[in-house]
Amino acid sequence: MKNFAKFAAAIFLASGVIAASSPAIAQGRAIDLKGYVKLEKIITGNDGATSVELVEPETIVPGDKLIFGTDYSNNSAEAVSNFVVTNPIPSAVRLAPVASSDLTVSVDGGANWGKLATLSVEQGDGTKRPAQHADVTHVRWTLAAVAPGEKGRLEYPAIIR
Amino acid sequence: MGSNYPQIAASFLVLATLLSGTAAHADGVGAGTLIENTATATYDAGDGPVTIPSNTVTVRVDELLDVTVTSLNSGPVAASSGTAVLTFEVTNTGNGPEAYVLTANPAVAGNDFDTTIDTIAIDTNGNGVYDPGVDEVLTSPATTRLLDADENLTVFVIVSVPGDALDGEASDVDLLAEAVTGTGAPGTVYTGQGVDGGDAIVGAGGADDNAIGSILIGVTSVDLIKAASISDPFGGTSAVPGSVVTYTITANVSGSGAVTELVVTDIFPAGTSYEAGSLALDSASLTDASDADAGEASSSGISVNLGTVAGGTSHSVTFDVTID
Repeated sequence: MKNFAKFAAAIFLASGVIAASSPAIAQGRAIDLKGYVKLEKIITGNDGATSVELVEPETIVPGDKLIFGTDYSNNSAEAVSNFVVTNPIPSAVRLAPVASSDLTVSVDGGANWGKLATLSVEQGDGTKRPAQHADVTHVRWTLAAVAPGEKGRLEYPAIIR
Repeated sequence: MGSNYPQIAASFLVLATLLSGTAAHADGVGAGTLIENTATATYDAGDGPVTIPSNTVTVRVDELLDVTVTSLNSGPVAASSGTAVLTFEVTNTGNGPEAYVLTANPAVAGNDFDTTIDTIAIDTNGNGVYDPGVDEVLTSPATTRLLDADENLTVFVIVSVPGDALDGEASDVDLLAEAVTGTGAPGTVYTGQGVDGGDAIVGAGGADDNAIGSILIGVTSVDLIKAASISDPFGGTSAVPGSVVTYTITANVSGSGAVTELVVTDIFPAGTSYEAGSLALDSASLTDASDADAGEASSSGISVNLGTVAGGTSHSVTFDVTID
């Protein structure tokens, strides 16, 4: 299991399989998505100064900060519109407090969306409390359009629970 | 594109094993847990909405090594001579199964005397009390079984107190627990030595911890002093028939400990008769009957139960007899 789990698996789904559920894909994919994960590591230099580096997640433990990202690119000759990228947050991590407060998130599995400050969580006794970063289940980015050849990167920071 | 099918199959396997790691704990995700991230994009390229997934990135949580040791004794353990038992708790504060080597050090700076470590034992039956012959004694090097993340173990350190330890002297015993995989500066990586062949990494506590248990010598002794005063029927102090003899037995308890079930008894001298109702403890009258109060008097003598008496206190028992 060691080698398998150590590498950030890049498993591209075959377009032929996607076609079974989405006929539009059969004509070719306009957008490419490529996910990645990095470990944010604080390096202390000889002079005591610290710097932050993003490294391959060779060794990760609870409390470490990971950056999950998705690179997108429009490889087609046509612009696409209503480009929405949705990313469920793995249960073993929580959204890091340093995440942008403008990020659109969901705290209920994707049913409702908004900025974190506008969301609340229902507690066991029926009362509601303001949602916190650890409550976030999904993050979402929305772009009105992606022009031909346009590339971008969408990422969120997370801390291993 | 047919060659991609095996990879797709693999991706489903990944999902199936998502929760195969050690169960999540309050102190963090279990070692071996796979973290998988997949984004999904929807867009409109002119032919209606299209949904595509990204590739899935998978990382595995490595094993964090850490431990805490605490003394479960609320204060110094009172001891006199022979053996004393110190109780500790060892908790795996890492995120994966780990065993710990235990080392008890009786020579702690500042000790009035040093004990000798007899054995280190595990509270096998979980009752919190050392039961010789029942609780498992760890053979050297004393190593615990694998403790799951967040699991704790009660450990007994049994020590011998030297015979020349004096009353009031104290001695500390230090119990150290070290992760079997390794210890070191936080962040030290033991490649491939974690759960399922993953890495093990030393946590903030250095993957070792220690705690101090204390022993306080309480040697307690009891001295009984008996005194008599006589008053004769004529106002003097002569021992003649009819004289009343008042006996006072003073029990002086000294030392830093306490004695339990201290009972003072005395037999009436031949040729005297007990003065009914004269028995008293610390000037407070006691009934002669064997009842709820501490004392009783029979035809032959008296008995007063002082119960537990702390060192540094004294009690006096008085009673009268008449010379026949």
